[in-house]
Amino acid sequence: MIDVTGLSARAGDFWLRDVTFTVPASAYGVVIGPAGSGKTTLLETIAGIVPAHTGRLRLGSRDAGDLPPEARQVALAYQHAFLFPHLTVRENVSYGAASGAEADEMARRFDVVDLLDRSVRGLSGGERQLVSIARTLARGAPYLLLDEPFSALDPRRRARTRREVRALHKERGLTVLQVTHDFTEAGMLGDVAILLDGGRVLQYGPPEEVFRKPASPYIAEFLGAENVYAGIAHVVQDRAPDWAEGTSGELSRAHHAVEFRSGSMTIYAVSEVILEGPTYAVVRGEDVVLSLVPHTTSARNTYEGVISEVVTTGALSRVTLTAHDLPIVASLTTRSVQELGLTVGVRAHASFKALAVHLC
Amino acid sequence: MQRAMATVLAALLASLLLLFLAAPIVELIARAGGTGIARLGSDKELRAALTMTTLCALVATALGVLGGTPLAWLLSRRRFRGRAILSAVLDLPLLIPHPVAGIALLLVFGRDSAAGQAAIAFGLRVVGTPVGIVLAMLFVSASLFISGAREAFARVDRRYEAVARTLGDSAWRAFRRVTLPLAARGILASAIVMWARAVSEFGAIVILTYNPKTASVLSYDRFTAFGLPDALPVAAVLALLALIPLTLLRALRVDGAAAVERA
Repeated sequence: MIDVTGLSARAGDFWLRDVTFTVPASAYGVVIGPAGSGKTTLLETIAGIVPAHTGRLRLGSRDAGDLPPEARQVALAYQHAFLFPHLTVRENVSYGAASGAEADEMARRFDVVDLLDRSVRGLSGGERQLVSIARTLARGAPYLLLDEPFSALDPRRRARTRREVRALHKERGLTVLQVTHDFTEAGMLGDVAILLDGGRVLQYGPPEEVFRKPASPYIAEFLGAENVYAGIAHVVQDRAPDWAEGTSGELSRAHHAVEFRSGSMTIYAVSEVILEGPTYAVVRGEDVVLSLVPHTTSARNTYEGVISEVVTTGALSRVTLTAHDLPIVASLTTRSVQELGLTVGVRAHASFKALAVHLC
Repeated sequence: MQRAMATVLAALLASLLLLFLAAPIVELIARAGGTGIARLGSDKELRAALTMTTLCALVATALGVLGGTPLAWLLSRRRFRGRAILSAVLDLPLLIPHPVAGIALLLVFGRDSAAGQAAIAFGLRVVGTPVGIVLAMLFVSASLFISGAREAFARVDRRYEAVARTLGDSAWRAFRRVTLPLAARGILASAIVMWARAVSEFGAIVILTYNPKTASVLSYDRFTAFGLPDALPVAAVLALLALIPLTLLRALRVDGAAAVERA
């Protein structure tokens, strides 16, 4: 377990302030945040490279805040690898390895066996990262800190290396904290996502929750939510058709029907807390369904409008439909866009469920 | 037009300065280099002075490296109260006139001083001995080593050490296995600069130890006692001696730059 409470640290003029989160034992945590948000400083503080000013750090059952880096049992791999330039690849992988066999195994698993007798000076960026990951894992430390470790790898190697790291994490019960800019990677790998900005934790929890239920519109936009609307929310009275007494008292109390107005558009949502007044509604593009004719479905939110933009990137397309003077962005497969003939100027209907709306 | 004039003027001034710097050395070596080398075979005093100079400079450099490397590391890697003052104190010997440095050393290590008497009690005389030469050389040239070594350490990214620490190294082990090898080229270059500066020292040495003579003191002695013709071969040999560290430094720097580029 990596348990961080109220941690503050300084790196030059930058401050990490009051950082709190927990990555359970043998879990995979991912740290996401814009450039300069303090991700690397966070890893360096946990590793003991940057001293913590205040706060508490627990690694497993140990208070690790006062331990020197070598006693923390934490291995760190930087994005830029920092392979020792005066050593060969073999010497790098073996540096700090738990054993020669461990170094050999990591060299094999990360496919750097052919590089072992080379100087690190001639390696490509991707090769450097692979050697760095092999070196870090050969240490055999129970805590693994990875700072954008796959950023220089080509897509095929990236997928393979990611699988290998994930496999080692499971086999050995490692507790991992990885910095990534890749939201897909964060969703695929992470058991816990920590969103960092300006040296502070904005939100942390299971990636699904962080992505689906961002705590603020800023987080929603940072995480790539396509539709973020400012407006006024009010809870629909319990006597309205939106609401019914549940079979379980707890269930009926925990969910409230909410009507959210943004300009002339009304969005129906369901909230676990009573929300009244100015707030934001977030709808992810993949939750929006487009059709040429209105359908009778269970979706509570349906709008008719005109397609104002179609952006295609390979197999995926983002289609913007303007309704009530507001854009509704839908993420679709390019094939669906072609089959439905969704082009700019075409009238269409967008719909999404009240449950797909997150109010924050 | 104005730009062209400025370029011509800058080139002219640069050429004049270059000529001013190179002409005396070239003239000295051209006129007396051959004689100086020939004299090495017959002039015992010159041979003794050269040996004394190179050996004392070597000892001074060794002492400078041993004491200066931790200081350079400290100044490059740690932020502490009084760091700026320590830096200034270490730079001071570079700024004071060298005879003044000699006088200051004489005050501290002279026969009447506490340190001088303590040294004598241990059978070590400073004034008028090679020990005095070494101390004078060390005093005037150690700052150059510390400054160069400090830069060499500063050029080693701290994250190499960070990685070594997370791979299980203690601070000392990371220094020995990573920082020192990566800074070695810069430290060696600084040691060569220190040695070269020590070899060329005159002002502080002449106050502490006139005899036995170093090559610089010998050239001055011959000039004052016998005039320019006798001083020229000694001076030319010293100028030629300076080419050795210069060549070594060039080799190190070219290789070093290439290594950095490759990395």
